[in-house]
Amino acid sequence: MNTVPLPPNVSNATRRLADALNRADPIETYRDAQARFLADPQATALLDQLAAAQSDLRVRQSDGTVTQEDIDRARALQSQVQANSIIMTYIEAQQAADAYLVEVNLTISQLLGIDFASLARTCGC
Amino acid sequence: MKNPALTDLELVLSPAVRRAARTFATALSETPQFKKFEEMSQTFLHDQAAQQAIAAFKAKQQALKPMILLNAVSDPERAELERLRQAVLTNPTYAAYQQAQGELIALCRAAEGLLTSSVGLSLAAACSTGCC
Repeated sequence: MNTVPLPPNVSNATRRLADALNRADPIETYRDAQARFLADPQATALLDQLAAAQSDLRVRQSDGTVTQEDIDRARALQSQVQANSIIMTYIEAQQAADAYLVEVNLTISQLLGIDFASLARTCGC
Repeated sequence: MKNPALTDLELVLSPAVRRAARTFATALSETPQFKKFEEMSQTFLHDQAAQQAIAAFKAKQQALKPMILLNAVSDPERAELERLRQAVLTNPTYAAYQQAQGELIALCRAAEGLLTSSVGLSLAAACSTGCC
């Protein structure tokens, strides 16, 4: 994907913002939680299994082939995920980091007079 | 599910982040792309012909909405809707505004991309409320 070259002052300001964010508590906490999650094969495998089960469930629900067994399986995996402290700490850390970034966007957008995140968003659907 | 260990106070930006965010916003606002977008936005907003063209298209679109959903729009109505749409698209003020907006979007996406690659989290994604 071709991106627009950034003017030096925007590039420098972006890097300074990134540096400041990388030192912020919610972002550091997220990184630590992510590292612990990625280092735990059981946790990563469990989350992958849940994602696959939920995706499969959506397909089966849309084509009318879903069974109670499918639903029970997804629910059981969901319960296992919620009981896994490594996964839940990671999810909560990401939620907190995202909330922090929402505040960052608010600060940027208030100065610009326009929602920066809306301008920067690429539609992935 | 909110982590009870995190309080609202911890979402308050640190002085360093707040300063850096403001510097970032200032740098963006000083770019030709942003200034052009601001200028074209005002021009577009105050261009009566452009605003009337858009209003006419939206009114027609709204009026035909039930038929559009049923795929039951007549050929004359479809042609009229398309005529009104082209009137918007070919309006010079609207076209200039769209171009300026496109250039600003490209700049913002590039900056956000650099931010994401450095932090590992996307500010735009964090602010997303769902699929666009």
